Amino acid sequence: MVKEFHDALDALSQKVLEMGRLSEEMLNNAVLSLRDMDVELAQNVLAKKACISEMDAEIEEEALRILTLFNPMASDMRRIAAVLKMITYLARIGRYGKDIAKITVELAGQPHVKKLVSIPYMASEVGFLIRDSLKAFEEETIEPLKDFTEREKNIDELRYSIFRECLTYMMEDSKTITRCTRYIMVARYLERCGDHAVKMGEKIHYMITGEHIDLDPTGPETCPGT
Amino acid sequence: MSKRESIIQTKDLNLWYGTTQALIDVNLKMKPNKVTALIGPSGCGKSTLIRCFNRMNDVIPECKVKGQVYYHDKDIYGPGVDAVEIRKKIGMVFQKPNPFPKSIFENIAYGPRVQGVNNRKKLESIVEKSLKNAGLWEEAKDRLEDSAMGLSGGQQQRLCIARSLAVEPEIILMDEPCSALDPIATAKIEELIRDLVKRYTVVIVTHNMQQAARVSDYTAYMYLGKMIEFGETTQIFENPQEELTENYITGRFG
Repeated sequence: MVKEFHDALDALSQKVLEMGRLSEEMLNNAVLSLRDMDVELAQNVLAKKACISEMDAEIEEEALRILTLFNPMASDMRRIAAVLKMITYLARIGRYGKDIAKITVELAGQPHVKKLVSIPYMASEVGFLIRDSLKAFEEETIEPLKDFTEREKNIDELRYSIFRECLTYMMEDSKTITRCTRYIMVARYLERCGDHAVKMGEKIHYMITGEHIDLDPTGPETCPGT
Repeated sequence: MSKRESIIQTKDLNLWYGTTQALIDVNLKMKPNKVTALIGPSGCGKSTLIRCFNRMNDVIPECKVKGQVYYHDKDIYGPGVDAVEIRKKIGMVFQKPNPFPKSIFENIAYGPRVQGVNNRKKLESIVEKSLKNAGLWEEAKDRLEDSAMGLSGGQQQRLCIARSLAVEPEIILMDEPCSALDPIATAKIEELIRDLVKRYTVVIVTHNMQQAARVSDYTAYMYLGKMIEFGETTQIFENPQEELTENYITGRFG
């Protein structure tokens, strides 16, 4: 039984990594599809949305089955707790990939306002955060999480700079408004994905060390009245 | 924590059965009105340790104890200590329910009678109070004169708890009190433990880790006669500090 339990837990972790890779791939391909106005690639991302939902449901069900059958304790319990949160964050990242791919389809046929540089750069920074989260999870080490707060801060800054850049284009030429508002949305989506990667990092930190930490650059929030 | 804040404290407690050492330098402080669970693999010394708390090991030949066990400020292994007096204050419930082959009433009244209580009214009041505190009154009140052997296993175990309460102890030691019971009877005993701890201090030995996690405030993990880790139950089960504890509670033991 102990072996069955640990095998099930290992298999669960592998599925989470698989889901993580898919979410990250969806986000990355969505941004590439936007950069290159590649509708085919965008459609490919849209089709993957169902896979993410399926994996989310499947992993949740399996995690609950393990909880019920084996009553895991200590680090095993923390792993399940982390997994249940991670899949929500990963599903959201995948969904933002889908949302960006939709924008590619909407804007298809129109040239970019100018060559897209900041958005793909921001996406690659977010991608690193996601991959480092997954690496920490897979290798059970907090080393890849150590500069998350700083990196998250940079991603926030990138979003503001894209926003300001877009604002200048829109003021110069109202014909750019449709495209620029989409760029602003994409930057916002990417920033949210960065937040999700950081939140995952927090859960993985708890899984490994048993300690809850706050990696959010704005610091811990307190409920009024407490 | 001073001795005063702990109701039981062991100091460098060592115990041998003949030449086999069963407890090695156990240092432990238990707080009053809390449930402390002792967990660990078979043969780790948890039953031996719990039996030290009311000198039940005295009856085992070739058993030798070194070190101190303080009950409040008194070393119960000190000179001139009456083990019977100790056992009055530190009651015990065993793995298998062991009612006397007497009526339910007589089972409870036995202890107080031995102590010299013979007034029927007084005995009736003790029996009622003890059964109520053990959560058995409603089921037993109309059959007090029936044989205790006719009760179910779970009821017998609660009867044994009631019997230990009748002599007004301060501490109740439980050595795997639910291992012979079904899940419903087990749940009743667990609820009872949480209720008892408002008035008593409970020490429980259990092999069921979920049970330890559910009922106890503090947990001690023992291995090969040593106290490996002692701490708040939530900490032990969520984030144990010792690798040995982690390996045991996650099933990666051995």
